[in-house]
Amino acid sequence: MAGKSGRTISATPDKSLKKALLSWEGMLLLLFIAINILCKCISPVYNLTNVLREMPKYLTEIFLLFPMAYILLMGEIDISVGSTVCLAATMACLSSNAGVPFIGVILIGLLTGTVCGMINGFLATRFRELPTMIITLGTQIVFRGIAEIALGDGGSISLTNADGFRAIAGKVGPVPYMFFIVIICAVIFTVIAEKRVFGRNLYAIGSNSRTAFYSGIKVNQMLFISYTVLGLLAGVSALFLTSATYGANTTTGKGFEMDAIAMAVFGGISTAGGKGKLIGGIISAFTITCLRVGLGQINMNPQVILIILGALLICAVLLPNISQSISDKKKKASRA
Amino acid sequence: MEKKSLWKKITGSREASLVIVLIVLCIAVTIKSPNFMSAQNILEILKNNAVIMIMALGMLCVLLIGGIDISITSTLAFAGMTIGMMYKYNKIESTFLGFLIATAMGAVCGLLIGVIIAYGKVMPIIATMGFMYIYRGFAYLVAQDQWAGADALGSFKDFTLSNSLSFGLINNTITVTVICYIIFFIVLKWTKFGRSIYAVGSNAEAAEISGINVAAIKTAVYTIMGTLAGLCGALATSVYASAQPNMQTSKEMDVIAACVIGGVSMNGGRGSVLGALLGALVLSVISKALPLVGINAIAQNTIKGVIIVAVIVLNVLTQRMMDKANLENREM
Amino acid sequence: MSEYVLELKGITKIFPGVKALNNVQFQLKPGEVHALMGENGAGKSTFIKVITGVHKAEEGEMYLFGKKVDFKGPRDAQQAGIAAVYQHPTSYPDLTVTENIFMNHEIKKRGIIQWKQMHEEAQGYLDELDADFKSTAEMGALSVAQQQMVEIAKAISTHAKIIILDEPTAALTANESQKLYKIVDKLRDSGVSIIFISHRFEDMYRLATRVTVFRDSQYIGTYDVNGITNADLIKAMVGREINDLFPKPEVKPGAEMLRIENFSRTGYYKNVNLHVRAGEIIGLTGLVGAGRTEVVESVCGITRQNEGKVFLEGKEVAIKNPTDAMKNGIILLPEDRQKTGLILSWGLGRNVTLPIVKKLSTNGFTNDKKERELSKKFLEDVDTKAVTIFDPASSLSGGNQQKVVVAKALAQDNMKVIIMDEPTKGVDVGAKAEIYAIMGELAQKGFAIIMISSEMPEILGMSDRIYVMCNGRVTGELSREEASQETILEFAMEKGGKKKKEEVVK
Repeated sequence: MAGKSGRTISATPDKSLKKALLSWEGMLLLLFIAINILCKCISPVYNLTNVLREMPKYLTEIFLLFPMAYILLMGEIDISVGSTVCLAATMACLSSNAGVPFIGVILIGLLTGTVCGMINGFLATRFRELPTMIITLGTQIVFRGIAEIALGDGGSISLTNADGFRAIAGKVGPVPYMFFIVIICAVIFTVIAEKRVFGRNLYAIGSNSRTAFYSGIKVNQMLFISYTVLGLLAGVSALFLTSATYGANTTTGKGFEMDAIAMAVFGGISTAGGKGKLIGGIISAFTITCLRVGLGQINMNPQVILIILGALLICAVLLPNISQSISDKKKKASRA
Repeated sequence: MEKKSLWKKITGSREASLVIVLIVLCIAVTIKSPNFMSAQNILEILKNNAVIMIMALGMLCVLLIGGIDISITSTLAFAGMTIGMMYKYNKIESTFLGFLIATAMGAVCGLLIGVIIAYGKVMPIIATMGFMYIYRGFAYLVAQDQWAGADALGSFKDFTLSNSLSFGLINNTITVTVICYIIFFIVLKWTKFGRSIYAVGSNAEAAEISGINVAAIKTAVYTIMGTLAGLCGALATSVYASAQPNMQTSKEMDVIAACVIGGVSMNGGRGSVLGALLGALVLSVISKALPLVGINAIAQNTIKGVIIVAVIVLNVLTQRMMDKANLENREM
Repeated sequence: MSEYVLELKGITKIFPGVKALNNVQFQLKPGEVHALMGENGAGKSTFIKVITGVHKAEEGEMYLFGKKVDFKGPRDAQQAGIAAVYQHPTSYPDLTVTENIFMNHEIKKRGIIQWKQMHEEAQGYLDELDADFKSTAEMGALSVAQQQMVEIAKAISTHAKIIILDEPTAALTANESQKLYKIVDKLRDSGVSIIFISHRFEDMYRLATRVTVFRDSQYIGTYDVNGITNADLIKAMVGREINDLFPKPEVKPGAEMLRIENFSRTGYYKNVNLHVRAGEIIGLTGLVGAGRTEVVESVCGITRQNEGKVFLEGKEVAIKNPTDAMKNGIILLPEDRQKTGLILSWGLGRNVTLPIVKKLSTNGFTNDKKERELSKKFLEDVDTKAVTIFDPASSLSGGNQQKVVVAKALAQDNMKVIIMDEPTKGVDVGAKAEIYAIMGELAQKGFAIIMISSEMPEILGMSDRIYVMCNGRVTGELSREEASQETILEFAMEKGGKKKKEEVVK
């Protein structure tokens, strides 16, 4: 079928450095550097060693960011993941105290998270009519509720033998093991999102899930996988969290889902789906972590830090919207 | 309009089936615990859940326009904590003034959220997530590591103990709740503003073309939500005779759950005041009834969550069954 | 008093990046029905929105009954007596018919809405239009034709002097269109001036006295309907002559490619049998809602049939999901290209390769270079009007979007059967001819083609064989020679249609 008009269509991609720097991710990188300079200025003890030492407190939430980003990219959401962390941590602690060998404790923690994720995935794919917001609102209450039952009247549990957990909280020099695992996860999840078919399909589903389905993409399968992986990583997060706290209680992991979503959104991933890059989420996660560490070092009220984070989150979404509408107006004015 | 459709209306309507659920629930609990239906107990339930019931009205409006607000309990804590500290340090004495300040604070908080969502075009879940942090942070800042206890609150806590508003008939908390429900019922059903809320949620684009100022309606709805949250801040401070920065944390989920159980659609345009009321009542009765029927208090959340999931799933399943029945009846 | 009820002069409307209207003019006489025609993207809808105050023109003047007006918003236009019935009914699906009619001009007493009175008045308007539903019905439960009637009732309720109908017959069946014609006649006789936009020449000849044509955002001319031929009008709209709209090649049908047997799905279709051979174009027609789309969607695994088998080249195949259908070379071009055919926010290239990303990948890693080359090739093959393969699909006109959907199908190299659901819906005349030419070429190459269409000329012009469906059943099979407008309509209304006919007679 020869083109009747002989018109040709260009297929050369535009790969300029300027564009890359002007992108949201480029801006975030600049912000990351700026925040580090700021922290260095305000805190005399802000250096790499100290940051790495204090990081584990905040790192556990970053595990949740990766699969949460996938789910957000598909236009769905999971607000039950904090409860999943709580339940997984509870189960791990209970089994550890019951004398289960540490490898078994790890498996139980991971399995608990995975099962929770599968339940969400099952409900989300079987009842597509329901917004996942509502489904996970329900399971959020259920998962934490089960943890509350398991924890009993005291509402908390302390590890009687923390040897195993102490081992995974270990370090190579100043760098905790957890840091390596976060980085490995970051690389794997980014490569999948950017370079693999699975990632492309994530964006397709988030941009238009009907078209994706009509084009032969197994939408339900991908949703189920993503929710399950989020559950699994909630298990990982729970284990590392336990290794820092040596126990669990009814408020363990509270607000983790919001933090994970906030990191993703701050990183430019739209909750409407289909837009944003995982790398942005990762940069924003480390930016937020550095900010928390730095402000924590100067003994700033943790509540003020929360206010700053909340304001940053809103600005992250508001600013591009405002600049967009200004540039639209300018374009219109220059045309007229 | 038509009398013969009454039966169909009952079987087909969400509200009617909720009434049945509520009645069955009450009867079942009464069999186990005969005191349950006593007037005192019922009033106690209403009083203790007034905060959720009132905020469900605001959430109804927010959900009707297709939005969501998870910052409400932060607003509540900010407003409640502020007046709590004012009473503690004797800045104000009058109960009325306390309510006024808290409500006004809530309105301003809500207005800010509304402007950012309606004019800044930020997704509601993100905007309110941000403000959830911010307002809760403010509550802690106001508190300065203090809290306002019963002695600090003085006469303010007496408000919810007395029956003054209804001239001795019924507890003030309940009177406030009833007034709110009456106002919202009238506004949503019988006024242009109320119907505009439905219109925006049902089809925002069409509403814009019909000449409805969609952004203004959205802003107004979040402002209303904030106002109610502020009011509830004062109410909660009075009912529990304490103001703490972490008050009512994560109760926003209960409010949303009440609406969802009451048949309010998360996609906007669908839901009624009656539904929100019944949803809130079902939740209240369940949490009160569980210990009475011998279920341990620590299992309450699990059961509440299971009921929420079950209700929404059942809803989908009945809808599917109805669709299927309709298809089978189609003549071919 | 001026000669015109409505006159617009030198209207220019600019959107970021495009001039949607460029110095256009328009005059509407009292009590006339005036057609507004032009290809998609010619600026008709924008023009309507300028009249109704939804958009504000950058330049130009508007006179209503001889007086200059300047609408600040839709409200002003409504109060001035202008009402519009848009292409996609701008309704509130969750609310009652009454509310849809009275939205934003409710009957109130001291701020309290008078429901009873509103229901009664709404019912009055509906009765006037011979509507077969109640004012208390929920809007979402009505058919498109019924919803349109509500929109018209809404226009009447505002006592509009000028009513604008934007593609009113696009989603209507032949019967429903007739009913609409009568309503328009009635409105005109009551002194209302009417502007209507339509792609169907049939509508224009039946209703309008004058026709104004727009092309490429510009005013081309206003003509008397009596004095203009089809060909002249097409030339005015397209800017060139189209000699042969249906370039149907003579292809000798080959072996049977696809056959479906005893296809049934509860409530949608029953006992459907049909087959298509290589090189053959099958027309599948019938009234909207007859079950045509539902049948092919089951063939393609979008939904599942309760009973029935699919045979491909004589062998039975099991199709459980769209992937199975694609693996077997059965490709669907869905009816709603914006919602199910394309990802509008994506570039054209990625849209084309969406179903084959996996096939082009190596070990699960996407191959961007190969994708770009392939999509460029196929997009050029179908002659898409685009600058780069990175242009978002939303930036194209309906016709070019359809070409992208065709390119997406062609990119699947194992394609054997191609099912096109309303391939020219919302496509302008120029692009229509090109899509027919592509269909012809595909048939010549030996693909089996099933075309679903409600447009009679297209069914008659392109099909080798025609299946007619009515109420979920295939009621007739016609060869190209046997087929005529009358025979098809007879089969299409075999059952439910007869009932309707009687009603009309009554």
